[in-house]
Amino acid sequence: MAKVEVKVCLGTTCFVMGGSNLQELNEIIPQKYGDKVELNAANCLGLCSINWEYSKAPYVKVNEAVVSEATVEKVLEEIDKQLGN
Amino acid sequence: MFIDIACSQKKKYNQNAYGDYFASNRFPNMNRIVAVLSDGLGSGIKANILACMTSTMLLKFMENHSDIEKSCEIIMNSLPVCKVRGISYSTFSAIDCFDDGNAKIVEEGNPDFIWIRGGEVLKPEYQSIQSKDFKNRKMKVYNIKLEKYDRVIFCSDGATQVAMGSKRYPLGLERSGLIKIILEKLEQEPEISSKNLSEYLVKQIELIAPNRELKDDTSILSIYCRDPRESLIFTGPPFHGEKDNYYAKTFMEFKGKKAISGGTTANIISRELNIPVIAKLSMNSGKLPGLSEMEGVDLVTEGILTLTKTLEYLENGNAEENAAKTLMDFLLDSDVINFLVGAQMNKAHYDPNLPIEIEIRKNIIKQMAKVLEEKYLKKVNVQFV
Repeated sequence: MAKVEVKVCLGTTCFVMGGSNLQELNEIIPQKYGDKVELNAANCLGLCSINWEYSKAPYVKVNEAVVSEATVEKVLEEIDKQLGN
Repeated sequence: MFIDIACSQKKKYNQNAYGDYFASNRFPNMNRIVAVLSDGLGSGIKANILACMTSTMLLKFMENHSDIEKSCEIIMNSLPVCKVRGISYSTFSAIDCFDDGNAKIVEEGNPDFIWIRGGEVLKPEYQSIQSKDFKNRKMKVYNIKLEKYDRVIFCSDGATQVAMGSKRYPLGLERSGLIKIILEKLEQEPEISSKNLSEYLVKQIELIAPNRELKDDTSILSIYCRDPRESLIFTGPPFHGEKDNYYAKTFMEFKGKKAISGGTTANIISRELNIPVIAKLSMNSGKLPGLSEMEGVDLVTEGILTLTKTLEYLENGNAEENAAKTLMDFLLDSDVINFLVGAQMNKAHYDPNLPIEIEIRKNIIKQMAKVLEEKYLKKVNVQFV
C-alpha cells in the first residue's frame, strides 16, 4: 500500500496561526501509524496568500487533500480517512 | 582590504573600574576606521575619567581631521588635574586607518606599537612633536602603509610592565617579551582574529602576573588587515516575479557565505534553480520555526519571525538557542553583510486575525542594518528588489 504523505506548513502565517502546535504530530504519527505515514515539513505551501481574505491557516496537506485551520485531531482524522480506517 | 579591530582589557586587581579606555568608530562610506586607546593616570574611577575623556575627545578630533598637535593641547588643557600629583595626565595611542592601508598613528606615553609583517617586527619612522604648554610631553606621529595580513598591536603599559620586580621579569615583561608571545601565537594560528588574539594576550599577561593579580590596568588593541568575510542574505520574494530567475542565479553565484531568510524565498530559489529545499520537522526550537536545508546555501530560516527575533538579540544580547541565534551568529561572523530584500508583500501577513502583529520586512532590515553598522561596526549593503 502506498504511503500517506503529510506535509505541515511552517510558513510564517501558518506558524503564528497555530502551526507551532502541530509539532506534536512529530511524536504521535510514528507511534500511531508506524511507517505507513510519512511526515514532512514545508517552508510554505503558498496556500495562505491565494485566498488571504478568508485565510484558514494553518494548513496541512495529507497527500493531495488540504486540511485548513489544522489541528492535531483534524490531521489524524484525514489520515485515517485516506488509509481507509 | 578589511581592517579587523578588537580590544581586550583587564582591570587592575581589586579595582572596580577600568583605568584604560578604548573608543573606535568605523565610517563604512569612507572606508575608514578611527580608534583610540587611552591610559588614565593612576587607577580606578579617576583613571577611568581621564582615559575616557581623552579617548572620546581625541576620537572626535581625529574624525574631523583636526590638527593633531592642537587637539592634544586642548585635551591636556581640559583634563581635570590630579589632586595627588598635581598634573593632568593620560597617555594614548590613536590610529586613523583607511581600507587601502594608509594609516596615521599618534602615540603619547603608551608603549610603542608593534607592527608585524610576515613574522617580522617592522621599525617605522616617526616624527617627534614636543608639546608647547607641557614639558616632558612628546608625541610620536607615524604615517605608515599597511599591507594585507599585517598586524598592529597597541597596548597600555600594564601589559609591558607586568610582573615587574619579579625574579623572572625584573623589568617586567617588556615590549620584547610581549612580541615573543605574539609571534609564537601567530605561528600557531596565522589567521587568528583580532578579537581572539587580544583576548589571548590579556589572558597570558594575567598568567604572568604574580598571583594572577594585575598591578595595573591592562589593554591590548589588535588590528589585523585581511580579506573581508562577505555574506549575502536573501529575504522576501522579488517585487517583479519575472525576475525571480535572475535574482536566484545572482544569489547562488555569490562567492561568500549565503543565507535565505523566508520560506517563500527559499521555495522561489528552489523552483528556479531546481535545488530541493528540505524543511526539517525537528522543528521545536522555542517559539520559532526551525531551520531548513538547501544544497549550496549555508543557512535557511523562516522569514519575518526569525528576523524580528534576530534583531531583538542583536540589540539586547541575551539570545536563546534557536534559529534566530543561528542567524545572528551568521551575521556577526561576517565583515561585509549584503541584504537582498524582496519588496513583494505577503498579504496573508497583514490579516487582522493574526494573533501577533507582523512587522514589515523592509523596516526590520533597515533597523538591522543600523544596529549592525553602529553597534557591531559591520559594513552593510541593502538592496531592495
